[in-house]
Amino acid sequence: MTASVQYYCPCLSATPHPPPSNLASSSYSFHPLHSLFFCEECDAVRCNRCVLVEVSGYYCPNCLFEVPSASVRAEKNRCARNCFMCPNCQNTLSVVASDPPDTEDSRSSPIVISTVGEPPFFLYCNHCRWDSAEVGITFEKPTGLAAQLQKFEDMAPESLEFERLKEYYEPQLPAASSALHRSVSGVPNFNGLSRSRSSREKGHRTKKEEESVYSARVEAGSSKGLASGSGGDADVDFLKHLETVSEVAALEQRWVNSWTTSLHTSDLKPFRIPLHSKKSKRCPSCRHILIKPEQKAQSVKYKIKLVAANYLPAINVTLPHAQAAIEMIKRSSTMNRQNAAAIVEEHSSAAAGNMLAGKTYPFHLAFTNPLYDPIQVRLHVQRAVPASDPAEKTRRPPFAVTLPSSAFTVNAYTETWGLEEEDDDDMFGGEDDEFDAARSGQKDAKARGRNVAIIERRANITVIGGEVMIAKEAKGNVKFNMLVTYTYRSDDPEPTDPSLSPSKSKGSKAPEIKTFSFYTVVELGKIVPREEPKPEAD
Amino acid sequence: MENPVYYSRAEYIETDTGNKVSRRATIAGPQNIILGGKTIIASGAIIRGDLRRTGPGHAVVISLGRYCLIGEGCVMRPPYKTYRGNFNYYPMKIGDHVHIGANSIVEAATIGNYVEIGKNCIIGKFTIIKDCAKIADNTVVPPNTVVPAMALFSGSPGRFVEDLPESTSEMIEAQTKGYYARFQPLPTER
Ligand SMILES: [Zn+2]
Ligand SMILES: [Zn+2]
Ligand SMILES: [Zn+2]
Ligand SMILES: [Zn+2]
Repeated sequence: MTASVQYYCPCLSATPHPPPSNLASSSYSFHPLHSLFFCEECDAVRCNRCVLVEVSGYYCPNCLFEVPSASVRAEKNRCARNCFMCPNCQNTLSVVASDPPDTEDSRSSPIVISTVGEPPFFLYCNHCRWDSAEVGITFEKPTGLAAQLQKFEDMAPESLEFERLKEYYEPQLPAASSALHRSVSGVPNFNGLSRSRSSREKGHRTKKEEESVYSARVEAGSSKGLASGSGGDADVDFLKHLETVSEVAALEQRWVNSWTTSLHTSDLKPFRIPLHSKKSKRCPSCRHILIKPEQKAQSVKYKIKLVAANYLPAINVTLPHAQAAIEMIKRSSTMNRQNAAAIVEEHSSAAAGNMLAGKTYPFHLAFTNPLYDPIQVRLHVQRAVPASDPAEKTRRPPFAVTLPSSAFTVNAYTETWGLEEEDDDDMFGGEDDEFDAARSGQKDAKARGRNVAIIERRANITVIGGEVMIAKEAKGNVKFNMLVTYTYRSDDPEPTDPSLSPSKSKGSKAPEIKTFSFYTVVELGKIVPREEPKPEAD
Repeated sequence: MENPVYYSRAEYIETDTGNKVSRRATIAGPQNIILGGKTIIASGAIIRGDLRRTGPGHAVVISLGRYCLIGEGCVMRPPYKTYRGNFNYYPMKIGDHVHIGANSIVEAATIGNYVEIGKNCIIGKFTIIKDCAKIADNTVVPPNTVVPAMALFSGSPGRFVEDLPESTSEMIEAQTKGYYARFQPLPTER
């Protein structure tokens, strides 16, 4: 089913209102609830687009070794143990001995290198069967391969040129960056080198810079010394004499490298596996930490985890007509094949959440309260902004949404709800009523509004019914912005501990009521144009 | 709310700890299989508890935690290799809240908690899948692959796509518990 509810993050924009839901760009501002964060300090939702991300640790995704940040730079962000990636298919390579005495099945995991077998050793891909001997890379010992490979990498002419450039420009960086910082606001000052040293040596260095001119190892534009792939005559020649496309390394196989690499598939070299990182996230406005993972790389626990799902009610949308259609299709599996096919045919469009133009459909929104206090929720549908195209202005909106206008309560979350739920047989009761309501809603236009009500309340969940009336000429998607406003008590009830100072325990002032609002986009489904009058099947 | 998933009471055996095992599933060597409780083994699944390490005595071949789902037509087979000339099977350990989609073949060594494996996947021998990882539908994970925690893998061969959200464990827990609650006998049979 396509029906979904996503939550808006204003990403520090000037206006708190989201863009109209019919704009294609609106999807960039809305996110699933579980991917959002919540800053208590700012009382605001934050998303992965706007949070500040800091690396809190590096690890190898294959051997899971936690790499100290000090060695990450020297090892060029790749694993320095025995983890290699197939240049052909990106699978992890295994270290194998020549003339392995056993079948391929016997190869132990790439982490534990089999020490049986004869040198030379080579790297082998057990997915695409690429092996490093093909490109002339073999090893005398099955250990320390990463260091040997890194030596190759560091010997690449581009790498040497880069090192040389760095050496030349690094001393000039502080001066250049502070100049940039002065003239362009927002550019941070470079502080890679210790301030005292750079200022001490400044006078001396600038003088020297004026004298020296950078001399490249390899002249720019000359194809001499540069590998294939740099667009020289050799590449032209290679392409002229191609026999199969697979002789050319795919872009995907080449762009994982730091440097221009050969166009020839046969030249592809194995890589050390790039490291992954664990990340901390901060609020972009107040810089408070929202996410702080535990140190251990493979731990899925967090020291700090302020996710929006713990603050905002979760909203799930369901379409009774689509659910009924899915149910019909399921039941059809018990019928004979012809009938079943007819039923599947009849209901598959509705099961996919499609809605016919000119009809009215009910929908359900289930609100789940994550707070330990009950909340009062009020809903508003954001009015569709008139289309900017003047010709469209006179057109009626493609659909109208009706929601309960009064506030409704969603009960507090308690730890025991989850346990009771599992044995609650009546949990899904009333489903047949919903089915009937859906049918009557479609058939009987007079019944309009009957579906707009509180449908069900149990545990910390309240289900409300809404209705969407689709215009006859409508097309596109039923998708609308909905403002959700809820009120809650700002703090837990004050403890009635008699040991507290009388002034404090006496403070029986009414608990502070707070209000929080957030925007969501509700997508119900696709509008399908009304077909030619079809004989009623039922 | 989401619809319940009905099953015919006659088809499933329910254990004291709430495991629900289809009579249409093939459970070979049941004495070597541990189910943690509230775990569902669907129709047509094949679990090869009979493929055990050679040697005397009792051995756990496949252990599954709580709130797991072995989907329809899945094959769970312990990994094997020949080490120093001896052919042997090795145990497979699966944590809590692990859902495996229909028609997937799993020969992993370990699968952590809160792991979601899609439909029609092949999880190669001795694969290690850490907590909160997800394998997309139709993924082929080659033998000996390590899938780090919180990673989404997809494709053939299965490769890292992206990090999953920080709230994955809560989401998967809610999902697996919700599925177990929705998985119930047909009301007409109650
Ligand atoms: Zn944002
Ligand atoms: Zn590694
Ligand atoms: Zn490969
Ligand atoms: Zn903040």
